[in-house]
Amino acid sequence: MRRPFTPRRERKFIGKYRPRIDGLEKASGRAVYADDFANKTRFPDMLYAKVLHSPHPHARIKNLDVAQAERLPGVAAVLTYLDPEVARLKPTSAGWTDGVDTVSYERMMWKRFRDRRVLGDTAHWVGDDLGVVVAAETEAVAEEALRLVKVEWEILPFVLDPLKAMEPGAPLVHPEVSANNVLPADPVGGADVFLTKGDVDQGFAHAEVVAEATSVYHNATQGSLDSWCCLVKWDDDKLTCWSNSYEADQSRMHISQMLDLPINKVRVISPFVGGQFGRGDTGEQPFFLFTALLAKRTGRPVKFKHTRRESFHDSRQPAIYHGKAGALRDGTITSLRFKSIGNAGAYSDHTMFALKFAPAEVAEVAFAHIPNLKMESYGVYTNMLPACMMRGVGNSQLNLVLGHVVDVLAEKLGMDPIDLVVKNFGHQWAAPPDKSLSAVLAEGARRIGWAEKRHAPGRGPARLGTYKSGVGFSFHPGWHAEWQEGRRGRIQVGVRLNPDGTVMLEAPTVEIGTGSNTCNVLGCAEALGFLGVTPADISFSNTVDTDTGLKDTVQTDSAVSFLQSEALAVAALELKRKVLEAAAPELKAEPEDLEAADGWIFAKGAPQVKRRLTEVLWQGDLAPIAVTVSRAPSGEKTGVPFQANFAEVEVDTGTGQVRIVKLVIVNDCGTVMYPSGAEGQQIGGQCMSVGESLTEEIVYDPVTGIPLNFNWIDYPIPTMADIPDIEPVLLEVWRGAGEYGACGIGEGVLTCTPRAIANAIYNAVGVRVDDMPFKPEKILAALGQGGRRP
Amino acid sequence: MAKARGAAGKAGGRRASGQPERIKIRVNGVWHEFAACAEGAGVEASETLSHLLRERLGLTGLKLSCDEGACGACTVILDGKAVLSCMTLAVEADGRSVLTIEGLPKDDPVIRAFAQQCEPGYGTALQCGYCTPGFVMASRALLDENPAPTPDEIKDGLSGNICRCGCYAGIARAVWHASRQDASSPKADGVLRSPEGASRKTGGAR
Repeated sequence: MRRPFTPRRERKFIGKYRPRIDGLEKASGRAVYADDFANKTRFPDMLYAKVLHSPHPHARIKNLDVAQAERLPGVAAVLTYLDPEVARLKPTSAGWTDGVDTVSYERMMWKRFRDRRVLGDTAHWVGDDLGVVVAAETEAVAEEALRLVKVEWEILPFVLDPLKAMEPGAPLVHPEVSANNVLPADPVGGADVFLTKGDVDQGFAHAEVVAEATSVYHNATQGSLDSWCCLVKWDDDKLTCWSNSYEADQSRMHISQMLDLPINKVRVISPFVGGQFGRGDTGEQPFFLFTALLAKRTGRPVKFKHTRRESFHDSRQPAIYHGKAGALRDGTITSLRFKSIGNAGAYSDHTMFALKFAPAEVAEVAFAHIPNLKMESYGVYTNMLPACMMRGVGNSQLNLVLGHVVDVLAEKLGMDPIDLVVKNFGHQWAAPPDKSLSAVLAEGARRIGWAEKRHAPGRGPARLGTYKSGVGFSFHPGWHAEWQEGRRGRIQVGVRLNPDGTVMLEAPTVEIGTGSNTCNVLGCAEALGFLGVTPADISFSNTVDTDTGLKDTVQTDSAVSFLQSEALAVAALELKRKVLEAAAPELKAEPEDLEAADGWIFAKGAPQVKRRLTEVLWQGDLAPIAVTVSRAPSGEKTGVPFQANFAEVEVDTGTGQVRIVKLVIVNDCGTVMYPSGAEGQQIGGQCMSVGESLTEEIVYDPVTGIPLNFNWIDYPIPTMADIPDIEPVLLEVWRGAGEYGACGIGEGVLTCTPRAIANAIYNAVGVRVDDMPFKPEKILAALGQGGRRP
Repeated sequence: MAKARGAAGKAGGRRASGQPERIKIRVNGVWHEFAACAEGAGVEASETLSHLLRERLGLTGLKLSCDEGACGACTVILDGKAVLSCMTLAVEADGRSVLTIEGLPKDDPVIRAFAQQCEPGYGTALQCGYCTPGFVMASRALLDENPAPTPDEIKDGLSGNICRCGCYAGIARAVWHASRQDASSPKADGVLRSPEGASRKTGGAR
């Protein structure tokens, strides 16, 4: 039995450990996902679409001969880049559809980087889809048809290494966007030096101790089990698209604008989705559209689904980060500088979000008390898999170097790094020490046994001669407090009260596993406390359908659970007003003289004479009482909470193998909305990060540019046998705005883990390995060189 | 890292001479007959059991995620033994009994335990739920073979399945709880899990 978290304030439903609302539906196999829906037994006349993938890292189609493919029995349609309905599609950017709010083509975030063609003629990485797509009676026939397509390629020079891509004369990946492969400055991300404060050079000159560090983050992939899938069907001039996209309203906008259809002629439905983790940078851009065009041409429903190999279509952005920190002898940091080079891969997508926007946000909420600051970044095109959005976007890469430079500086100062962190970091709305930061670090230190287990680097006792243990930590500001969610636009929810006291809740958001659905129902029951409802009285649909009206709150930024609950708190006030109004005639009273609590209605100040609310409503008009709220997140600045991860590792200095003994993850949540879900996120994030830190890596053949391990045998994802003891800790120290003052944690939970592990490795063996993943050969090489890396 | 569960062992019910003309598979207690190797709609030699179950019978509880034996999402129970249906040919199931998640009773202790897991400190046993049917079937087979597994035996028995949401702690806890409930409730369905299957190891060579 583990220790449950203690809520700051006892509530009826919020903050309670309980099963998920979709637990039984999922555990019994009844939950329907897009791939289950797009099934021959439901759509006997369904066709299967398959698209051509480039075998070359950089090449242009000179000529395409599809005659043989068209003649293959079972082929219903062949569509190529030369067909007019394809050729007229506008150039676009995947960043458009991987967003937080519904935006139009004209207002998409990365207007300067519209570097994608839907079914274009040029490939920018091995695996890029382009040129031709077929629809056939079976998947096998569709694949065979693609093999029969004769492609004449113009092979172009390619580049994989971002440093080489920046050199003069390097092959240009998107000359239409950049003449040197470096993404130009843009209005959202800013210039190359995107943040300056004070004078860093003077700050370093003033410093008594200076530390420098370089960390290299790699290209792990999201690995959602539920591969991208859609089914498109036309009924006359109306298109319906079932898919496993995590955003419905934006998908509708995307399809509407790209295919020139009125919004009401596009219906997007997302049933259960088997994992998200940030995938979305590629894929839905082309395939919704070409699947729709194939369905139009054939007059039949068409399904498109990625194979596992095709599902390797996006990764975390690899980044080389350099950090430098200067401090006075007492540990006061005087100057801090970061410079990064990110490998955007073949398409820019949200690169500037990862490299500039997210780090700038961190600077605002964590580096506010450091007088001199400079942050500089370069996003570079290469002919690799496009890379950007993955759980913890941009923050993970920055944290790897932040925790690194802090650890090096603390050692040089002879300080405990926890003390160094508490002394210097925090947001501008409170002077250090930050309460939240101090609390997460103290709690994590206690749970891992920091004081007892930490020792001078490499100087701990060895087990069986070669096994050496160590501990490490890293910290990061939480993000997605409500004021940071302004970009989302309005959050829409609806509540309908039936005359028997049951409730229809409409809080649309695609169910990708985060637990926000359970949170919604708990939040609704909590807010409707005056009705005396329980979660069992509330109906909630896990399927999002744009034809039902309200905009879905997009499943990004880990913020859906509290954003919708905050809107529900507002809706509840309005509903209560309407309920009292409806009950007033039956009670022969004025609404303002009435009060309701726990399902009873009574005259204000006289709760002893009361009637059942449902009994009163039953006597009146039986139409449901409905409320809809459309509310932008509160802009009230409240600072942010912090999180910390602590790791204990054991390194076999004979083999270089790292075994993680224990991970502790501490999150200050403001309010823990749904602890079972939050702990699930905390533990799950560590599992993902264990893979990312130790084994997961996409490997390329540098000579051909071909990725070598697009499968789950050679790209090893941890299973139950690989996972250490993980202790999730939830705190409520900081408080945001609104009824709950909560924040999102789902993404952040894995931000600090790699650095905590890397620092623990250093503490264990006394040499640093700072490029991920921390594989045995790197550890051995570092040990062999006494810590000096080549 | 995923420990691959074996594909089906030897197929039963085949004729000695060459390919059968029809194949019969008992699915969740009901025999289904399919034309084999016929032109057009028949079951071809290369058709996987997962495809047959999903696309011909509409049993979409099992999921096709990797489709190459690495993730366990397609796990079903064949003659009492957990197998990867994506690595099992439909013809290998000829004459044999297949149990999919749709064939488990609604109150199966494993299903209940996965649905209800919320013990503090371990998270839930599922998030997105995509791997869940595979885990449930693997757990069912594990408990049939070993009704009271230790935590290490649970880890070992379920290490052929991937949960990308990382609910491993909650899953292990759910299986442990289910094993305690199993012990106190009679087996709901003794027919489909044959005695010889129940005694076989669930693990297999990659």
